Amino acid sequence: MFSLISPFFLLRIGLTYFLVWRRKAKKSIPLGDGWWGHGQQTLRDDNKIYPFKVETSEDEINDLHRRIDQMRYTEPLEDCGFQYGFNSNYLQKVVSYWRNQFDWKKQVAKLNEYPHFKTNIEGLDVHFVHVRAPHRPGQKVLPLMLVHGWPGSFFEFYKILPLLTDTKDDLAFEVICPSIPGYGFSEAPHKQGFCSLDAARIFLKLMERLGFNKFYLQGGDWGSLITTNMAQMKPQCVSGLHLNMLAVTKRGVGMLLSLIIGPYLPFLVGFTREDVRRLFPYFEKNVYDLLMESGYMHIQGTKPDTAGCGLNDSPVGLAAYILEKFSTWTDRKNRDLEDGDLEKKYSLDDLLTNVMIYWTTRSIIPSMRFYKENFKTNPQNRVDARTGIFVPMGHAAFPNELMHCPLPWARWRFKDIRSYSYMPRGGHFAAFEEPRLLAEDFVKFVRKVEGKKR
Amino acid sequence: ILTAFIIHLQHFQSSLQSVLLALVLGAVVLLVLRRSKAAVLKTEDGWWGAGSPPAGAEDESIRPFRVETSREEIEDLQRRIDQTRPVPSLEDSQFNYGFNSTYLQKVAAYWRNEFNWSKQVDKLNQYPHFKTKIEGIDVHYVHVKPKNLPEGRTAVPLIMVHGWPGSFYEFYGILPLLTEPANADDVAFEVICPSIPGYGFSEAPRKKGFNSVCAARVFLKLMRRLGFGRFYAQGGDWGWQITTNMAQLDPTAVKGLHINFAPVENVGPLVILSILLGRRFPGLFGFTELDVKRLYPRVEKMLVEPLKETGYFHIQATKPDTAGRGLNDSPVGLAAYILEKFSTWTDHEFRNLEDGGLERKFSLEDLLTNVMIYWTTGSITSSMRFYKENFAKGFYPPHARIPVTVPTGVAAFPNELMHTPKLWAKQKNHKLKTYTTMARGGHFAAMEEPGLMAQDIQKFIKVVEGKK
Repeated sequence: MFSLISPFFLLRIGLTYFLVWRRKAKKSIPLGDGWWGHGQQTLRDDNKIYPFKVETSEDEINDLHRRIDQMRYTEPLEDCGFQYGFNSNYLQKVVSYWRNQFDWKKQVAKLNEYPHFKTNIEGLDVHFVHVRAPHRPGQKVLPLMLVHGWPGSFFEFYKILPLLTDTKDDLAFEVICPSIPGYGFSEAPHKQGFCSLDAARIFLKLMERLGFNKFYLQGGDWGSLITTNMAQMKPQCVSGLHLNMLAVTKRGVGMLLSLIIGPYLPFLVGFTREDVRRLFPYFEKNVYDLLMESGYMHIQGTKPDTAGCGLNDSPVGLAAYILEKFSTWTDRKNRDLEDGDLEKKYSLDDLLTNVMIYWTTRSIIPSMRFYKENFKTNPQNRVDARTGIFVPMGHAAFPNELMHCPLPWARWRFKDIRSYSYMPRGGHFAAFEEPRLLAEDFVKFVRKVEGKKR
Repeated sequence: ILTAFIIHLQHFQSSLQSVLLALVLGAVVLLVLRRSKAAVLKTEDGWWGAGSPPAGAEDESIRPFRVETSREEIEDLQRRIDQTRPVPSLEDSQFNYGFNSTYLQKVAAYWRNEFNWSKQVDKLNQYPHFKTKIEGIDVHYVHVKPKNLPEGRTAVPLIMVHGWPGSFYEFYGILPLLTEPANADDVAFEVICPSIPGYGFSEAPRKKGFNSVCAARVFLKLMRRLGFGRFYAQGGDWGWQITTNMAQLDPTAVKGLHINFAPVENVGPLVILSILLGRRFPGLFGFTELDVKRLYPRVEKMLVEPLKETGYFHIQATKPDTAGRGLNDSPVGLAAYILEKFSTWTDHEFRNLEDGGLERKFSLEDLLTNVMIYWTTGSITSSMRFYKENFAKGFYPPHARIPVTVPTGVAAFPNELMHTPKLWAKQKNHKLKTYTTMARGGHFAAMEEPGLMAQDIQKFIKVVEGKK
């Protein structure tokens, strides 16, 4: 059998290199266009930017309280921790806090501490927060867009914003934090097909409308894909791309070889000891664990309208669904704990504020549809998956991130990696959990890019 | 993974055919040798109540049970339906993104204003219900005896087990056909329809690990407690798995097994060969027109379609408590989640219909009665846990490797979720007595086509009894 396979084996290697060679020729992906509003496209495009304030009302709060009171408790199995999902016993504690102590009005005031805006792009009202750096003499201010993911929001960046905008040294940032259309205060697309390429194009149009023609990008989760697409569409506009999550694109032979040889002779395939520690045992960490944790992705990627329906009526259900991720994706060991160690890294106030953004805007279903829209065409065959990224890139590899991407693998797609850091602690929600670490790494990356320019 | 590998192999098909054909002979020889070994499924006793089992013998009494409702229950339901916050579906998406929002509002309006739960409760109570404690939990069942049995005839005992997201109620259409058959020479059955622990009126296990083998053991104890030494079993969906396990645990007790769902758990060399060559040489594997239509093209039918429809399975088999949490507070959310399956699993083409074709084969009254069983008992989360418990040890637990040695009958409905050709069914069921390609029908066969199903059960029984 082996003798039959090897000619095909060599053919595959040859084919792979041929494709890599071809890939070098493509430096960007097409922009395309779209319109996502109701019915037919209207002729006039409103380019204005309107200030926006988050608001709430007694009705909204009373309705929430009424629904929380109506929760129908289900007893958890004995000794199950978070293995079956959000533990019902701990959920009752969270819900009790939410009902009796959580102050939504105070949180709304906190959200409004930064100026919010909305502007209509491609038929949708796109929401964003715009934070300017205070005028400090001798300080260079660079524009930056931070893009969130699921089940997060622009609010995840509230702790890192002051660290980037209000610095005392020579470098500061002017930050735009948009909401992905369909999430939070951004209008949801009314037409099918809205994927990360469309979100990327809309955010590029947003930056253009705001007068920025060169800027930095930072993102994780969907934000990582969207910012990468932005860098692929208009590389001339992107000064640098910083990501805290890298999806591993399977590359057949090369990856297989590094997986087989890696644990024994890591340096031969470009792995460091830390890479080996994070990747292996491969099957358990990357296949089994991913299977255990991707149920939500599977159902949202196929039946989002069904999956989100009950969550839009039951705030407790919504909180359990979202907060389970904040527990498990921060550290997989949390699955064995009765309280999922949720409050170790986050405050209930912050966690519930994020949930409230989904609740008050009824955006859980549209947020889930984004998964289906992105998986409609095989993600490995889509134009962005077959194109490299040529802008300066920096990666902060957090130890408890969902998947680890070693530098040699990242190099397959990112042709200009300026910084690759093994972060000492932190998981998937890096900006929310370890804002200082992320900010430091981001600034370090920017300095490297800016340094090379001079 | 194996399926994906097989599908990749198709690229090499033409060049390897001769090699593979040679392997067929070898495989056949191997299989003949393997079949002579018939292992028995082993199990241990369990206890599923809260805390530790009490000292002393278990209470084995059988208590009559009546389904009840109250004004509060109905008003609470109506209040929650009124509080639904609908989100419009995308333009022209029908049922492709899940349950369509426009049609869901119609269903909710009917449920709120026209559905009569009290009347349905009376309908549920037309048959006698009972509860009995087994292994620490209350097991609910319906027990239906034929009313007019001619002299000298005894009713044949039959246990019918439901699946997810169904219930004992799915059998209410077929029960009269089985207990009071129209034909004089048809067999009259005495039917037991239990609820799987964690579903409906059966108490949910408090401890981890309650899988299909445990359910099978509990149901065997139930039948024994009711005085049935030998009986027939019928099931689809989880019911298939549980009745199969019953036949594996105690082949002497199960006289015959009739199933309408028979997915292949152990993909052996013969199955692989038939997948590779079945399209070109259907006759070689006994493939019918329906087999070829349902299995090919391979990638679409064996990979893409199952992926599209197994999201619920994936989340329930990993995070059931999270998945069920919101559904236990929102009746409309629960209805959307459950009824989406009654649409899509009846016919995949219904995904392209604005109303999901739901009322073509079922009445809203019946569909919502089934939903109410989950709603009023708050059992959606415990019903989902069954998925996780069954896949805790991976996809090849011991019972997947053990064949079924009792007489089996398979009713293959054309729109069933996973299609199993006769050849594949034979790999697991070594005494396959009948295999019928049904004229029409999908996953919820007993509820959708009770007449056809009853006919096939009769046909199967006659073959088994005739042989005696």
